[in-house]
Amino acid sequence: MNRTHSRRRGLASRVARTSAALAAVTLVAAGCSGTAEGDGGTAIDYWLWDANQLPAYQRCADAFEEQNPDLQIRISQYGWDDYWSKLTAGFVAGAGPDVFTDHLTRYPEYAQRGLLVDLSTLDATADIDPGGFQEGLADLWVGQDGGQYGVPKDFDTVALFYDRNVIEEAGLSPADLESLDWNPEDGGSFEELLAHLSVDENGIRGDEEGFDPDNVAVYGYASNGSGGTDGQTAWSWLAASTGWEFTNADVWGTEYYYDDPRFQASVAWLFGLVDKGYMAPFEEVGTAPNPQQALGSGRAALSVNGSWMLGTYANLEGVDLGIASLPSGPIGHPVSMYNGLADSISAQSPDPEEAARWVAFLGSDDCQNLVGEAGVVLPARPAGTEAAIEAFADRGLDVSPFTDLVDNGYTVYFPVTDAYGSISALGAPIMDEIYIGNRDVGTLTEMNDEVNAILSGG
Amino acid sequence: MTDIATTELESVSPRTAERTPAPRRRRRPTVGKVVAWAVMIVLLLITLFPFYWMLRTALSSNGALYSNATSLLPVDFSWGGFERVFGLQTTEEAIAQGGSGASIDFWLYLRNSVIVATGVTACQVFFSAMAAYAFSRLRWKGRNAVFSVFLLSLMVPAIFTLLPNFVMIRDLGLIDTLLGIMLPGLFMTPFAIFFLRQFFMNVPLEVEEAALIDGASKVRVFFALIIPMSVGPIATISILTYIGSWNDYFWPLMVSYTDESRVLTVALGNFKSQTPQTGPDWAGLMAATLVAALPMIALFLAFAKRIVNSIGFSGIK
Repeated sequence: MNRTHSRRRGLASRVARTSAALAAVTLVAAGCSGTAEGDGGTAIDYWLWDANQLPAYQRCADAFEEQNPDLQIRISQYGWDDYWSKLTAGFVAGAGPDVFTDHLTRYPEYAQRGLLVDLSTLDATADIDPGGFQEGLADLWVGQDGGQYGVPKDFDTVALFYDRNVIEEAGLSPADLESLDWNPEDGGSFEELLAHLSVDENGIRGDEEGFDPDNVAVYGYASNGSGGTDGQTAWSWLAASTGWEFTNADVWGTEYYYDDPRFQASVAWLFGLVDKGYMAPFEEVGTAPNPQQALGSGRAALSVNGSWMLGTYANLEGVDLGIASLPSGPIGHPVSMYNGLADSISAQSPDPEEAARWVAFLGSDDCQNLVGEAGVVLPARPAGTEAAIEAFADRGLDVSPFTDLVDNGYTVYFPVTDAYGSISALGAPIMDEIYIGNRDVGTLTEMNDEVNAILSGG
Repeated sequence: MTDIATTELESVSPRTAERTPAPRRRRRPTVGKVVAWAVMIVLLLITLFPFYWMLRTALSSNGALYSNATSLLPVDFSWGGFERVFGLQTTEEAIAQGGSGASIDFWLYLRNSVIVATGVTACQVFFSAMAAYAFSRLRWKGRNAVFSVFLLSLMVPAIFTLLPNFVMIRDLGLIDTLLGIMLPGLFMTPFAIFFLRQFFMNVPLEVEEAALIDGASKVRVFFALIIPMSVGPIATISILTYIGSWNDYFWPLMVSYTDESRVLTVALGNFKSQTPQTGPDWAGLMAATLVAALPMIALFLAFAKRIVNSIGFSGIK
């Protein structure tokens, strides 16, 4: 009894003493950890989300600081989800960056709320020639009021990734993937290829007698999910190759065309692949499809994906990676979504003119060549694009299927409109239902009415 | 109520076990015992399997994972995941292995995490205990009304207070400091007060009255009686607070801007998907998760038994 009491008391006082000591140490340590102000003069905070590009942009910052000793660039990187949370909170509390990497789905709202600086009003960025970038990229960042809200940094398009080993096993050669055609009615030679590349559990191919679409070992086509309302890698390239366009204008459209029969037929063809056994059903991929995993594990033979995924696909072990152009559609050539990132300046930046000098440098050949040489993305300036093509070639990757599309103008813009967030929230579950098979593509006409109501009301 | 709890716990405590005579000879295991053990072992394996799977993935190479996703052993064995967690790889190496190009200063983040979790736990538990004492054992006007308001604040979702807190921290000039990360939970949380109040209320009145008659002050009663008699609950809430603070992600993410104030959870967010379409660095992510969880597992192993044993209330027997 007594012994236990004294032991308890001992423990209690030990705990109390230890915590008190720890608390004291902690508070002292916490008080000491202030932010160290750099001695490089004015500090410009720059944010980006892609860690793979961080080393390249760090090199840009070093080069810039050498030329501008009065400025110091502080780069912070946060993963995609965290990035937008932190940026939003930063805007609310006035604790955000000076310059940040911006996305087409986000900037319309920011520009509308006056959170971005019109770059044409700042000395360093006023004279940037929009013609110095790949065709049309700068136009994406012109707001409805005519202000320039971003300087293009890179672009992306979509192409076909495949494993040469799998193609050869199927008795084909990479050349057979070069001149594919597609249409929404019978799928063209593209569907024939998908059928041939699909193999069921018994080893029977999709174009042979007795193929079992319910027990498939290898799908011809890697699912990219339902694609939401932009279908960037899922269906945009199919629908656009029929001549369909998202909206009634390149940018800032006021009316969506999800009611177009060509769009609906393209979507129906894509998700019809599930019943044929050429693509995984929704329950296998869920809302987070992983096409690179499907290709890497041999679960799928072909995978359509964006140029930003080049590094990921190139790193797949045991895959002899090949890249082919998208199949050409009813309009006689392939069409890809054409999307790009840009750097924007926050309206809350205390040093907008200094920030503009950094943005101008980010948009110059000096920096974009450095980024191109890193071989991660395709920079927006033609010289930077060339540098990237070379860097990828050094790794044995021919990225011309991505760049040819831009050179030939076979592109459709990412739909830059108002209220993109609300439209996306409305449309994504509906597209999921179509993929699952619970909904008919005809109902997209009703969805379109709702989308346009949001747009005219917003 | 307390007596029943005491006797129940007494019967299983090791001290009483010493008093019961040891069985004369070892009984042969019955069929039921064997089955029970077998079931327990199976359940244990099922529970531990996810941890093994994390370890197996952490020791694999990202590129090879997909080609052999169902292998029970690490695929293309590599220390790369752990090397990235401890910041031992160059960015080029990390990117080549499917990791991220962000630099990691592991020990600095670990230090920050320890400071934050320790500070929050020590201060929050101490101040909450004081408040709980006031709410449970002191009689003052409006006590119950104030406590009701407190309970109401338990019902406010954290997301509502996030931005007001953030703006306040900014106005205090504490953005990007460890103090800024600690501050919201530093003085109290309604839950901790509520939790401790329940236990303090159960300390027998007679003990306190005896102390007061002997001339002890309320302060002395609190330190010399209430706290020693509630070591179990205090240890429990301390561990809960510590683990909660250690695992907190969103608030430290908001407040921290540089490595100086970055805690482990936020830093290891680097291993999640960095871009909307690229897959995560699975090996690094699993290695990071294991490394971040280890201190908490160790903490639990060290204190679990003590907590369970000390929840029995001493007092009048």
